[in-house]
Amino acid sequence: MMLEINNLHARLADGREILKGIDLTVKEGEVHAIMGPNGSGKSTLAGVLAGRPGYEITEGSVLYHGKDLLALSADERARAGIFLAFQYPVEIPGVNNMYFLRAALNAVHRSRGEPELDAGQFLKAVRAKLKLLDIGEDLLQRAVNVGFSGGEKKRNEIFQMAMLEPDLAILDETDSGLDIDALRVVANGVNRLRAPNRAAIMITHYQRLLDYVVPDVVHVLSHGRIVRSGDKSLATELECRGYAFLDDAAA
Amino acid sequence: MSDLTSYTGAFRADPGEPAWLVERRQSALARFGELGLPTRRQENWRFTNLRALETTDYPPASGVATVAEAALAPYLLTGASHRIVLVNGRFSPTLSAIGPLPAGTYLAPLSTVLRERADLAAALFDGSDAVANQPFAALNAAFAGDGFVLALEDGVALGTPIEIVHLASAAAPHAAHTRNAILAGKHSRARIVESHAGSGRYWRNLVTRVALGEGAMLRHVTLQDDGDEAINTGISRVVLATGARYDAFTLTVGALLSRADMIVAITGERVHCGVSGAYLLRGRQEATIATLIDHAAPGSETREVFKGVVEDRAHGVFQGKIQVRREAQQTNAHQLNKNLLLSPRAAIDSKPELEIFADDVKCSHGATIGDLDETAMFYLRARGIPESEARLMLIEAFAAEAIELVEDAAAQTYLRRHLDTWLANPKG
Amino acid sequence: MTMDTIDTVQALTSEGYKYGFFSDIEADEAPPGLNEGTVRFISAKKGEPDWLLQWRLDAFRAWQKTVQPDWAKLRIAPIDYQASTYYSAPKQQSGPKSLDEVDPELLAVYEKLGIPLGERAALAGVAVDAVFDSVSVATTFKAQLGELGIVFCSFGEAVREHPELVKKYLGSVVPQGDNFFAALNSAVFSDGSFAYIPPGVRCPMELSTYFRINAAKSGQFERTLLIADKGAYVSYLEGCTAPQRDENQLHAAVVELIALEGAEIKYSTVQNWYPGDAEGKGGIYNFVTKRGACRGDRAKISWTQVETGSAITWKYPSCLLEGNNSVGEFYSVAITNNLQQADTGTKMIHIGKNTSSTIISKGISAGRGQNTYRGLVKIQPKAQGARNYTQCDSLLIGDRCGANTVPYIEVRNPSSRVEHEATTSKISDDQLFYCRQRGLSAEDAVSLIVNGFCKEVLKELPMEFAVEAQKLLAVSLEGSVG
Repeated sequence: MMLEINNLHARLADGREILKGIDLTVKEGEVHAIMGPNGSGKSTLAGVLAGRPGYEITEGSVLYHGKDLLALSADERARAGIFLAFQYPVEIPGVNNMYFLRAALNAVHRSRGEPELDAGQFLKAVRAKLKLLDIGEDLLQRAVNVGFSGGEKKRNEIFQMAMLEPDLAILDETDSGLDIDALRVVANGVNRLRAPNRAAIMITHYQRLLDYVVPDVVHVLSHGRIVRSGDKSLATELECRGYAFLDDAAA
Repeated sequence: MSDLTSYTGAFRADPGEPAWLVERRQSALARFGELGLPTRRQENWRFTNLRALETTDYPPASGVATVAEAALAPYLLTGASHRIVLVNGRFSPTLSAIGPLPAGTYLAPLSTVLRERADLAAALFDGSDAVANQPFAALNAAFAGDGFVLALEDGVALGTPIEIVHLASAAAPHAAHTRNAILAGKHSRARIVESHAGSGRYWRNLVTRVALGEGAMLRHVTLQDDGDEAINTGISRVVLATGARYDAFTLTVGALLSRADMIVAITGERVHCGVSGAYLLRGRQEATIATLIDHAAPGSETREVFKGVVEDRAHGVFQGKIQVRREAQQTNAHQLNKNLLLSPRAAIDSKPELEIFADDVKCSHGATIGDLDETAMFYLRARGIPESEARLMLIEAFAAEAIELVEDAAAQTYLRRHLDTWLANPKG
Repeated sequence: MTMDTIDTVQALTSEGYKYGFFSDIEADEAPPGLNEGTVRFISAKKGEPDWLLQWRLDAFRAWQKTVQPDWAKLRIAPIDYQASTYYSAPKQQSGPKSLDEVDPELLAVYEKLGIPLGERAALAGVAVDAVFDSVSVATTFKAQLGELGIVFCSFGEAVREHPELVKKYLGSVVPQGDNFFAALNSAVFSDGSFAYIPPGVRCPMELSTYFRINAAKSGQFERTLLIADKGAYVSYLEGCTAPQRDENQLHAAVVELIALEGAEIKYSTVQNWYPGDAEGKGGIYNFVTKRGACRGDRAKISWTQVETGSAITWKYPSCLLEGNNSVGEFYSVAITNNLQQADTGTKMIHIGKNTSSTIISKGISAGRGQNTYRGLVKIQPKAQGARNYTQCDSLLIGDRCGANTVPYIEVRNPSSRVEHEATTSKISDDQLFYCRQRGLSAEDAVSLIVNGFCKEVLKELPMEFAVEAQKLLAVSLEGSVG
């Protein structure tokens, strides 16, 4: 089993409870979509899984490949194969994008006991992935996310994901604010990563992305709980009826 | 001033004053004797040329002076006000017009306070001037007999602005040591427009204490338009409590030698501290703006903008320090000093300083010194505007940008008027 | 190809000693204390001409008349100038022994850096002039440079071989009585480096001096004099390190640069003197006077420094921009961790017309470190069209440290333009999390972000230095994040 979330409760430093008992199981090879209105706890769930500071887990457990995920630091989780595509990728002035990626890739390689890539091998791998994803090389020589447009930032996230080849990719509203070309790049990135031994969780507000990446399971998150799960048709239903019906369902 | 005896020897205890006050004055005078006049070897005074003060003795002004009402006219606000006028450092009942004040508002000259309000007098002469390393404040504590005092009780919001005019007329050199205080209770509000003007050789030496209680608001605008031969030194000590909003603006156009020290202590959270101004200097004017903003509590902000225009053989100095203590996390403090240096014998010194001991802060400062923008000059001239006029337009725009920081419309209009006067009357 | 640091220093030391500069002198150390006798002893040991002895004595008298300045934002334990030893030549038998004298922790640092001293020389054909304690003991690549007319040797040798150059330029930028520490250095300087690049010659390799304080209680007072004649170019690298000692050691060097018309000098320093332990015990007092003069039109002097070491750093590499259209640059990274203090910056004195200067300063404070940028930009009345741009950024890591920015801007010419900007910030939690989510450890993430913060300065360093500097930043910040 890739990921098992049991009765997960999490709150912010100010005491507000955001996740109120999440149960979710993700098997190898699956793509899950998590939808829900603003403030339902989608990004919190992504943050908690990736180890973002600022949340307190008050109850429940998360097992990743059968081990306690919550005991690991953010970088240990990353090296264990969890990748979070940020909703708001962070700017790091002065740090070259390529240099950053190579440092990350080598950190992952070291932890797996694999040899580090030398500059030549790395560049070769980078070029191959860029071509595959149809991303221009111009992003590489700039500082990490500095001065990138919204679309460029998201492409950069997908490019990093493709390079790091995670076991479990979590995409936090990577589709929001993208034009159709950028959306295709994102979808292409996720689809190319699909494999029997990998999984992905796509957090999204809209159904649009799911036309390009067909999920195995769709969950609806509301007020910190998963209130419905189903197949792709659930997303279509949400698209037609909006999130309002959730309140009826909850009531 | 070859020695200090003309100052230390001039002290005469006022038999009408209580013993504690005489004692405070004497210890302050002793402190002045110890400190002496500042020298350029002292870091805080390294840029300020005090020659004008060193070469002449300024005995304390004595007796009551009067000036013609015409001298007052340029310094009156349009519209209603509560007005205090001081002449040669003494309250002038004939020129003043305090008018009826709302309940909870106390506005009076210091001379009255010393007679009527022992509590306020004690706060104004608390002995701290004799401790600090500020010789002029100590000298002020020894001699100050008048000034203005505004005290607002909690929750009082003054709708009408307070207008303070300090005038001077000196037949022979004299010193006017003036002591002012603004004590604003919780959530009180006030606006003050203060002007300094006069003619002849005099030394105006001010100490102003400002204390804003929780959530209090004060907009304090000062026009320093003292005479061509005058010396103006002033120290403002400001203490801001939680949620206070303080906006001070000083337009400096007058005096041969001037120095304005502002020391602001931010002691509470969510304080807004705006300290700004402009100095427009000509002839052989020498002006120093020295500010120290001390963030001693978290989550407050400072906005500081000073703009200088220096011509002829004048010398402008900006020394601004923002200090953020360890406990003052989430401080947001920005300081800017921009200068136009317009003639080959003019000089500018700028020392914008940050001292930061907390890590989660956003602090910045910037300073520029240069001539008028060449591209803008060319653009104006290409549109047929003569050079001298183009220069004036750009200088005006530069200075007006600072004055626009003043939020109070009446005060802004007042300052604009004096900016226009300055632009229209080259004294040099 | 790569030699171990120790082997290199040792090899250079013993080899150098074969030259036997001082083999006829029995005593190796001056008796502790400082008086005219000490100055005469040093001068005699070095077999100096009388004019240099008199020059030293003038400096000593100037020193006696000045007091140690206290204007910097520094806490300095009192220094007993009479307790120091002012001269110590390496003993022949101390060569093998010095292996044990080098602190293992320091060795570990070098291993972490992966750049031993020898490798630098090997890497790019760097000419190394090793200053082991006080006496310059070896100079490599001399012959190759000699063919181009370049003089690169120890200061002592320059006094013997090129007295006319030394006499002409020594003290011409930093006079003997310039300041307390410069006066002290001028009186007792033991050795140092000298370089002269003849007109029109572009020095084909980086010249490098490697400074190292070894003997206990011996202050290091080296003196560097570089002259780039008309149209010449030279890039000079200075690396510093010292073994760990419990007591503070004083390092009061003087560096003088002279760039004549159209000449360019690039002077890079990576300073990693022992900073003291986590409680602030021991460490070097690095009180250094560095100044360059652009003596001709279109001359250029560029200082780049990465200051990670020393208990206290007090230095202001400066430029006197005398020639018209001359250029001064100052690029600085200063890190203070634990109880380190740094008060550093520059002085750009614009004297000639159309002179320009750039100052980029990056201060990083961690632990209980105190970091001050102090800089002067002075535009003199005749400096028509002078330009300065200054940017000072401070980064604070933790809430026990301090960052100060103290710029002095003095402008006396209306056609000049001076701009100064400064910011203070911290490493944001978002940046840290982003890096860690990509698999970087907290320390690697901090080091990466700090390197990004310093990029504008690091890119000014010659390649082989840049790598070392980057790693040094990481080592210096160890333990600064939880």
